[in-house]
Amino acid sequence: MNLNAAAEILFLDEFSAADMPYDAGEEALLKWKTSPLDSAQATYQVFASTMQTGGWIKVDEFSADKKFASDIKLPFWAWKARKDLHAVAIPLETHFGKLEKNKEYFFKIISIKGRQKFESEIVSTQVKRNWFNFARLNNLVFVLVIFGIFIWTVSHAKRKGLFIRRIAGLDAIDEAIGRATEMGRPIYYITGIGSMSSISTIASTFILGEVAGKVAQYDSYVKVPHYNPIVMTVCKEVVRQAYLQAGRPDSYREDMNFFVSSDQFSYAASVDGMITREKPAACFLIGHFMAESLLLAEVGATVGAIQIAGTDSEHQLPFFFTTCDYTLIGEELYAAGAYLSKEPMLLSTLRLQDYGKFFVIVAVVIGIALMTLSVQYKWDLTDKILENIFKTY
Amino acid sequence: MDFTAILGAWIAVGLTLFILSFLYRDNPLFKIAENLYIGIAIGYIFSITIYNVWIPKIYQPVSNRVFTSLSNWVPWVSKFVTPAGDAGSLTPLFPAIIGISLLTRIFPKISWISRYGFAFIVGYGAGLAIPATVATMFIAQIEGTIQPVFKLASGGAIDLSGPALWTSFSAILLCLGVIVTLFYFFFSLEHGKISKKVTKIGIYFLMVYFGAAFGTTVMGRFALLYGRFFDLYTYRTSGYYHATPILILLVLIFFFVYFGKSRKTSP
Repeated sequence: MNLNAAAEILFLDEFSAADMPYDAGEEALLKWKTSPLDSAQATYQVFASTMQTGGWIKVDEFSADKKFASDIKLPFWAWKARKDLHAVAIPLETHFGKLEKNKEYFFKIISIKGRQKFESEIVSTQVKRNWFNFARLNNLVFVLVIFGIFIWTVSHAKRKGLFIRRIAGLDAIDEAIGRATEMGRPIYYITGIGSMSSISTIASTFILGEVAGKVAQYDSYVKVPHYNPIVMTVCKEVVRQAYLQAGRPDSYREDMNFFVSSDQFSYAASVDGMITREKPAACFLIGHFMAESLLLAEVGATVGAIQIAGTDSEHQLPFFFTTCDYTLIGEELYAAGAYLSKEPMLLSTLRLQDYGKFFVIVAVVIGIALMTLSVQYKWDLTDKILENIFKTY
Repeated sequence: MDFTAILGAWIAVGLTLFILSFLYRDNPLFKIAENLYIGIAIGYIFSITIYNVWIPKIYQPVSNRVFTSLSNWVPWVSKFVTPAGDAGSLTPLFPAIIGISLLTRIFPKISWISRYGFAFIVGYGAGLAIPATVATMFIAQIEGTIQPVFKLASGGAIDLSGPALWTSFSAILLCLGVIVTLFYFFFSLEHGKISKKVTKIGIYFLMVYFGAAFGTTVMGRFALLYGRFFDLYTYRTSGYYHATPILILLVLIFFFVYFGKSRKTSP
């Protein structure tokens, strides 16, 4: 029941509470129709409680000419950005701590204009975790398109083969392993400090497989000191498999991969010590690196090892440039597994990456042109569509 | 001054000097610091894992759930055990079992069990990484690059003021930089005469960025070095019983003795 029916009073028409769509069950959404009396002089105070009868907490306060449905940051395909509707998202965890399942939360709003105060009816809702975040539909579409192109490029690569340009850093792998074999010294392969959810670590394990296969063929020796125990176990399997495929299972040793430390700088100090004492002929620093990159690469350079580095941590790349013989920059690292194995399936991923880059170039050029035109001719809709499509929610 | 503060200062100075001694060459002092560092780091991470992960996230919810259920069936249990916190949950058992399955690698006969755990971790990792990568390294990059080349002034005409022109120049430069840099990373395209030139401009853009990043990071590292030197400077005073000069002297004496001896013994 609405208690505020007088004509000059800011009463809340169609006041309702609902679960905030597409979230992880953290917010409630309050909506009510705008009023012709909404102005900067009027204020809305939002109260929330876990009981209908009391315990009200003020969770928000704003002037009546603010907070509309159009201010909710959701894309046009998931949300109607109306200007005739007030909409407020209430972060319940901030006010009530850990939220309980199936618990009802109650809300009321007090509108204040001058000396007059009016209280809305009490509305309630439960919040729940949503299975799908519809706002991320653009991500899904991009992933599906990428997947579709991937299938096509795989079949194309199998039928016709693919041209791949030379990547100097990867061509030098043979040279590095050959040098180590001639000198009778070990090879150090460092996967960095990333976990298995890091793309560069996944790429590094691919390259490790290829490197280990060549090491097995040349009958050299590779040592892989690890920061992350999970990565270590995956790398153990990769190296074992590489030795099996090279027909040298007898040369494989369990201690080729070994755990050092999960602390960044103690790991660096220890690996530095090992490199200084064993003086490897070649060092591969491929994966995710942070501040330890220079500490490791500097010591490798000091002992005269041929060094091949690769990372997508762009802040560490300059250090590799200054201390390593060859450096794989970002994308080259992702391409390395395919480049070395020459498998059509993996090669097609390179073509896929190129299509992705081509799409980015086209999207940027067309996007900038449209944005510029939309400024000149006030095409607000074009502006909004572009903004929504290329946005991460 | 408090004894622990003085002891802490001596340890800090000693270990700093031991680690810095590696700049000259590998030596037993560095080895001491290196092994101590690894040991302490592993011990620290182990205790953090136990007290911040295992106890609050697995042991407490599972034991609470077990004791609560047991109390419902056998009421006298509650006289002896009172669960701390809420009713708990058995859900943490699932990730705990996956985690424990990794330890089966120690026993070759049942090491196959660990593969399920690893399959889950790798699959979960890739599943988590792919959408995040598409969002941050693909969509967000396009979003950041698309900017209007010019802005309108209050009258509705194109804004030709200094700051506005500078913004326009930045937008064009950003767009150009993105395109030529991306061009460098085309792998399935043979670089001809024109594309080689475009690629070269892309490399220049990359080098400018790397130079800037190098400068920024080196400045950051110097700040860390100053921090260490500041500690050495602070602990030189009589309040710390001259920790810095005494330990520098001892390290130098050790160096003369150790490397003098090894020079004599080496052929």
